[in-house]
Amino acid sequence: MRRARHLLAPLLACACLPATAHAAQSAKLHVSFSPNRLGHGTTVDISAKITASGGYVPSPLTQLQVSYPSDLGFDISGLGLATCSQAILEIFGPLHCPADSYMGQGNALAELSFGPEIIQETAEVAILRAPQEGQVALLFYANAGTPVSEPIIFSGMLIPGPAHDESIEINVPLVPSLPAAPDIAIVQLHATLGPHGLTYYEHIHGKLVAYKPKGILLPRRCPPGGFAFSATFAFQDGSHALAHTVVPCHPEGKHRRNRNI
Amino acid sequence: MTRPLQIGARHHRLPRAIATLAILLTTSAVLMSTESFAAEPDVTARAAHTLNGTATANLHLVKAEGSQLFEEGPVSGTLAGSASAALTTGAVFTASFTIHTHSGSITGHGRATPHGSGRYQSFSGSFLATSGSGRYAHVSGRAGLYGVFDRRTDSVVIQTTGTLTY
Repeated sequence: MRRARHLLAPLLACACLPATAHAAQSAKLHVSFSPNRLGHGTTVDISAKITASGGYVPSPLTQLQVSYPSDLGFDISGLGLATCSQAILEIFGPLHCPADSYMGQGNALAELSFGPEIIQETAEVAILRAPQEGQVALLFYANAGTPVSEPIIFSGMLIPGPAHDESIEINVPLVPSLPAAPDIAIVQLHATLGPHGLTYYEHIHGKLVAYKPKGILLPRRCPPGGFAFSATFAFQDGSHALAHTVVPCHPEGKHRRNRNI
Repeated sequence: MTRPLQIGARHHRLPRAIATLAILLTTSAVLMSTESFAAEPDVTARAAHTLNGTATANLHLVKAEGSQLFEEGPVSGTLAGSASAALTTGAVFTASFTIHTHSGSITGHGRATPHGSGRYQSFSGSFLATSGSGRYAHVSGRAGLYGVFDRRTDSVVIQTTGTLTY
């Protein structure tokens, strides 16, 4: 038994070494609209990639804040007409949440180091509206396969900005991997917020009728330079990374704007 | 004969009124306004040029621009006529709107805090009259602002209650 422990100790130390040697993280952000038509409802597609220099596993992400122009009509998107509580998610999972509480979906790619090896793991993410008085609160339900098969639930919030920006603030919990190994690090995130892939239901004359929510409304006029997004990533090691991107207006939309003027 | 409306009494009845609005919104907003105010005088103008009472606007979406909604619809009760409004939703609802009556119009700004997180969001705040035309050219005052916003249809029922001078 003692001998086995002696053998295990270097192995665990070996498992820890690559990931503990964290280098500075950097992040890239990509956002697109589908469809990208001014004055129409859309689905916002957000992707982020986190890397660490030297090929190391990045420090685990603890908070993500994505800022977007306040003239995007998140509040009038018709999304999240119902809510789903964290308790329902924990006990039954997202399939027991009302269809009208779904606001989007996505996936995440996480890495964990195991000795010299880096193991990758993907998780499907459901984004749901959470009950919160007067505010748009979100719940993220991430369900992965092995080796971390336990679903992870974490929260987010739409925060009104001080000027012309609003933001989505997401608190990402630390996810333990293997005993004595560092926590799992998210290296890629992809999320859609909008009607793409969602079906809502409403009662009309006593019948349940399916419909697609209208989506996040783009303004009729193209902002100068396009729609600016930025993201701030906070990591477990205390470091931060910043990323910016711009969604250009569709040429058809720009043309129509000029005609209106 | 006209009967002055009691503002205090209105306040006490308001939560029930808002609940009623939310329920009836799903069936017929127009029907609601007609029934609620059919037995009451439309306008109560006193000798001191004060306007006392409650006006209810049933607004539907005309167009949306980003997070701003442009709405219009009929107004019943005090200041019967029609209204148009530019409404911005969010953590705080803000609106600028004009009520048109046969005697003139009243323009003002409103600010309200939303409650709830489902399809129907009630809100409460205040309405500030800033300008007017016709009989209400010199209107001023602040009134209570209440209502229900339907996030599915973007229609809104807005109720103002209080005293304005003109």
